[in-house]
Amino acid sequence: MADTYTPPVYGTGVKATIQRLGGHLAGMIMPNIGAFIAWGLITALFIPTGWLPHEGLAKLVGPIISYLLPILIGYTGGRMVHGQRGAVVGAVATMGVVVGSEIPMFLGAMIMGPLSALIIKYVDKFAQDRTRVGFEMLVDNFTAGIVGGAMAVLGILGIGPIVRVVTEAAGDAVSWMITNNLLPLASVLIEPAKVLFLNNAINHGVLGPLGVTQSVQDGKSILFMLESNPGPGLGLLLAYLLFGPRLLRPTTPAAMIIHFFGGIHEIYFPYVLMKPRLILAVIAGGAAGVFTFLITGAGLVATPSPGSIFAYLAVTPRGGWFGVILGIVIAAGVTFALASLLLGFGRGEKAQEGAESQQSDNPAAGPEPREPVTDTSATRETGA
Amino acid sequence: MNAKDVRKVIVACDAGMGSSVMLAATLRKQLKGLPVEVEHTPVDAIPADADVVLTHAGLAARARAAAPGKLVIPFQIFLGDPAVTRLVDTLKKGGDLGA
Repeated sequence: MADTYTPPVYGTGVKATIQRLGGHLAGMIMPNIGAFIAWGLITALFIPTGWLPHEGLAKLVGPIISYLLPILIGYTGGRMVHGQRGAVVGAVATMGVVVGSEIPMFLGAMIMGPLSALIIKYVDKFAQDRTRVGFEMLVDNFTAGIVGGAMAVLGILGIGPIVRVVTEAAGDAVSWMITNNLLPLASVLIEPAKVLFLNNAINHGVLGPLGVTQSVQDGKSILFMLESNPGPGLGLLLAYLLFGPRLLRPTTPAAMIIHFFGGIHEIYFPYVLMKPRLILAVIAGGAAGVFTFLITGAGLVATPSPGSIFAYLAVTPRGGWFGVILGIVIAAGVTFALASLLLGFGRGEKAQEGAESQQSDNPAAGPEPREPVTDTSATRETGA
Repeated sequence: MNAKDVRKVIVACDAGMGSSVMLAATLRKQLKGLPVEVEHTPVDAIPADADVVLTHAGLAARARAAAPGKLVIPFQIFLGDPAVTRLVDTLKKGGDLGA
């Protein structure tokens, strides 16, 4: 019954597979974002160029980024595969890629955690039927210890160096794009992928780990802002408020609050999916924002998550607010202008409404919901 | 499935941390007083005791793969979607929820 009201816009197996893979990557990062924020705040405050420079407290910065965050990721990745035992083995194994590494080993942790958990999962399956009564605890503890220890050794000797080469190559590719001013082109990929619900996969699975490497070296990174800029979504919702389908207009103010202040970008994806040509508007706005960030040298210390204006301002390094805010404003403005144009400044809407009222009995609705929206007040309280 | 058999509604999104939390909070308010639990989870971790799964149409394929045989209701917009409104109405007034 619900399907007649909301037909799936798209739904191929390939897309679901990519979403799922990306979801696993993001799933290792996102439960730990609180720790990332703690690191970002400590860094923004106490490093020598920070708001309240403090030598003693700044000592927290290095160990958190080098050890705590990768180990949390490895732990979470292990837990996703094999529960608490997987988590413990994943954390131990992650030590192997972390120790002796100059760069934050996020990618290594995202490999070591689930891989080691998978191994202990198979070991458990093998040992379960062969363990004598009364020896379960002994076997459990020592299999976990041996697998974890062995994987840590393998991490130092084998996997660590390989991951280091890959991370550095990816970092070089990004720096090349930055120095050649090609980064705005990334929006052409990012914005469409974002509204297909790959937003977390892109931001936390790919851009975040690269950004952290850059942030450790330079004190800030533009990569955190490629996907998470709340400007394009704000501009799009503004265009919908003024020129969108009349039935949807009452929902947009609440959506804007939830998006821009609450940082839940998912709320604007449906508005793009309903009128796919609007993807051009968010691409252009995203690219304009990235371009502004580039020429003003803007960057953030840590990943702003969720992508709310408050999170942005909290992880902006001292003296960096101008470029950051300008990039958001320009992205919103460009998206708004182009989206308004693509919506025909509301003129096409009137013609459509006339046609719709003549056949209003037809229940097979198009992609736009037909029932008037009523309960926005409840949502506003919870979202803002 | 009949509305009076529904004990647990799951709102699922990609990470189970953002949009699903928001919609679950809204639903919880709207369903207050009914013996129905509303929870939010990642779309790949829908619990086995879920009766109804609400998720965005773009994630419905994953929800169906993660929770085979469960009633998955896709919606389009996060605020006031007709599919969500209908679910709330049916749960309140009773009736059939569809396959």
